[in-house]
Amino acid sequence: MTRFKLNGQPVTVEADEDTQLLWVLRDHLGLTGTKYGCGAAQCGACTVHIDGIASYACITPLLAVEGTEVTTIEGLSETGDHPVQKAWVAEDVPQCGYCQSGQIMRAAALLAENPTPTREEISQTMRANLCRCGTYGRIVKAVERAANEGDQ
Amino acid sequence: MSDLALSRRGVLKGASGLTVMMLAGGGLVACTPEQAETHLTTASPSAWLMIASDDTVTIMFGATEIGQGGMTALPLIVAEELDADWSKVKVEQVHSADPTFGNPIFGGDQSTVASLTVQGYFDTLRKAGALARRVLIYTAAAHWGVPPEEITTRSGQVLHPSTDRSLSFGDVITTGPLTTDVPDITDADLKAPEGFELIGTEITRLDSPDKSTGAAIYAIDIALPDMAYAAVLAPPVEGETPIQIGDTDARAVSGVVDVLTLPGGVAVIAEKYDIALRARDLLDVTWSETSPFRGADSQAEMAELTAACETTDTPGAVYAETGDAISTLTQADTIIAATYQTDYVYHAQIEPLAAVASVDADGQGAEFWLGTQSQSNAMRHASEALDLPSESIRPNVTYSGGGFGRRLHFERDILRDALLASKAIGRPVKLIWTREDDLRLGWFRPATAQHLRAALTPERKLAAWSHRLAASSILDFMDPARWNPEAPRDFLVMKNADGKAYPAETFRTEHIVTPRRARVTSWRGIGTGSNSFAVESFIDELAHASGEDPADFRLHLQSEDARATGLIRKVMEMSDYRTPRPEGRAIGLALAGYSSSLAAGVAEVSADEREEIKVHQVWTAIECGLAVHPDNVRAQIEGAIIMGLSAALKEQVVIQGGEVQNTNFHDYAILRANEAPEIEVYITPSTAPPTSVGELGLPMVAPAVANAVFNLTGKRLRHLPITPARLNAALRE
Repeated sequence: MTRFKLNGQPVTVEADEDTQLLWVLRDHLGLTGTKYGCGAAQCGACTVHIDGIASYACITPLLAVEGTEVTTIEGLSETGDHPVQKAWVAEDVPQCGYCQSGQIMRAAALLAENPTPTREEISQTMRANLCRCGTYGRIVKAVERAANEGDQ
Repeated sequence: MSDLALSRRGVLKGASGLTVMMLAGGGLVACTPEQAETHLTTASPSAWLMIASDDTVTIMFGATEIGQGGMTALPLIVAEELDADWSKVKVEQVHSADPTFGNPIFGGDQSTVASLTVQGYFDTLRKAGALARRVLIYTAAAHWGVPPEEITTRSGQVLHPSTDRSLSFGDVITTGPLTTDVPDITDADLKAPEGFELIGTEITRLDSPDKSTGAAIYAIDIALPDMAYAAVLAPPVEGETPIQIGDTDARAVSGVVDVLTLPGGVAVIAEKYDIALRARDLLDVTWSETSPFRGADSQAEMAELTAACETTDTPGAVYAETGDAISTLTQADTIIAATYQTDYVYHAQIEPLAAVASVDADGQGAEFWLGTQSQSNAMRHASEALDLPSESIRPNVTYSGGGFGRRLHFERDILRDALLASKAIGRPVKLIWTREDDLRLGWFRPATAQHLRAALTPERKLAAWSHRLAASSILDFMDPARWNPEAPRDFLVMKNADGKAYPAETFRTEHIVTPRRARVTSWRGIGTGSNSFAVESFIDELAHASGEDPADFRLHLQSEDARATGLIRKVMEMSDYRTPRPEGRAIGLALAGYSSSLAAGVAEVSADEREEIKVHQVWTAIECGLAVHPDNVRAQIEGAIIMGLSAALKEQVVIQGGEVQNTNFHDYAILRANEAPEIEVYITPSTAPPTSVGELGLPMVAPAVANAVFNLTGKRLRHLPITPARLNAALRE
């Protein structure tokens, strides 16, 4: 039995401790906003925050989140109004949308740590997350927009 | 009543107000709820548009949303002619395969392909909106006792300006009986483009909010009561079958429901997906070793393709021809020739393929959930898999985590296996391909080798053009019903290899159809990604051979085509083409279109110390008729440029002994955020009907980069992708 906080609420999961957090979130807890893309920490579609750090849920065994605070896209904001989410809509970033939960979680963690990243810092951080629709340019703009709005 | 009729009725239940339906014969009719009921019993109509008394306008979306933004653009077209209040517009997915919902340009086939969704639905959607507007006007006219000519509409309101009266659309519906007997809508009734108020404006995509909160649902996300999960161990080589299955260890894993042999391989069914994956690793399967695909080797195949296209005395299947190009070449004093090669590439859509199926307990019906590019194909393949009439199958279409051609006919593998697994265990089943499965079982853009020859006139125009393309046939594998080996004609392979990119006095293009060594299919841009690379690189070579600047040479060749020269000049201006680049930088230009649309592009590149090409900026000027949703047009062009660059610089499927050697994104790398260039898109203003956008950004990218690499290094890289190893080899030649 593994206990941790998920999106602010305590949860208890009965699953093998070596089950990857990705499948715990999606199949055991029904939170499907966190996506499977590669299972190998290569694409970032599964990005969540573990104690505030952007992490690959697909290579994080359940055991490793015992006692931590996990935040998924569903818990980033109550109504989708986190500055990064608002910026994502304002820049119309998503196309197919599948990778965007992970992109948004990566961007939110970046801004929490570095509220005024340079363009270079943004693209170097966001390189962890693949987007096959090619929304990279808009992702950078949206992170800049969220950073600017966070300033005000 | 059939399930389809029931689902139609279900759709109509929401419509207490005005409905615009498409009848089986192809006509649009406006209906009251009672009239809609009557049509349901006598014809097979579809409701395209419903207006409710609460002002809500519901627009049914017959295509699928694969990221291209059609789910916003199509409603926008209806709303424009209806003069709807955009904030009251809702869009709903059409799940069924239904000729009355199909893309009119495909004669009713319901497929989201070939960048034809906006173009194909444009006229009909406009007329549907205009018809609903007319019914509202006539109904309000009767209510107010005034002639309809005195009534106007604006943003969800019906207005009678001379008496200063107005009603919302919903209020009109509640005034009394609808006047649905109105004159037919003709082209003359549609708005002039100058009057557009929604089309051409920068609205937000309707799906952006749900795609920014994790709320958007893809097939891989579907969860049903009592659902089991499946992972399939596929044969290592296409065509092999299991001879012996050791499944004792797999079955011993707690939570494993069953191990099944399916057409796609050996499936582990479990209570959770992670359990299915763990148990699959414990299978011990001996496979047959008789498949002819065991001999497939992508490197050896490229040598075969190259020899085939260069053996010019062995004709291929003529794809396009005018005059006698071969004699002209034979008699020319000077001919220029070059061979280009392109490797297999993989879609790499970020959602690996997944399907959810639930076969009814009596086996007489089934339901499925799928992200697909074609309701028509999905229904056909589901029906074939279960040997049931399509009327007994209940489809559900979700968002797709990337399409790019991968979700077309793929149902015959993964949906089939999901349906058969559900039938076998008597429970709903979600089948997910891991990334490794998705790559190993990928259907790729075929490898090609292309030999081009040309002779110039004394005026430096094209006297003769020969383009011989060796590749296997996509149609033969993907959609064999459309392939005739006796008269090979594969537009999926040959697009933009039709001799028509530049005017030539004589030309001949040929497809040398080679044996298939891998699964092949459409990949964003279909043949253009390979073929425009060859054509536009070769045009550059001709320019250099004539001692002329490649842009000036293209302007000269296209001197009769104002659109082409206009786009070239525009992109030259955008990129300061004539301004020399700093040391270590160079630019290249290309001109290539997709169907009726055209794009000119310039790429600026450098090479780092490892001979890896970095693309700093891409400028493009495009012409695609009316841009219905300009910001989304830009987004599509940006996305296609990124995908085209990724393929041009990085992507290469390697096959040895019939097995795909790449396994995941570490050894099938695609472009990342830090490698993406700045992109500037110019959309030529136009009021002509809209033409293709989704793939338009792709064809010009690879040749613009290759031409830039030549300007940078003096070396002509004729093999995609342009990897550091290939550039290195060229530099050391």
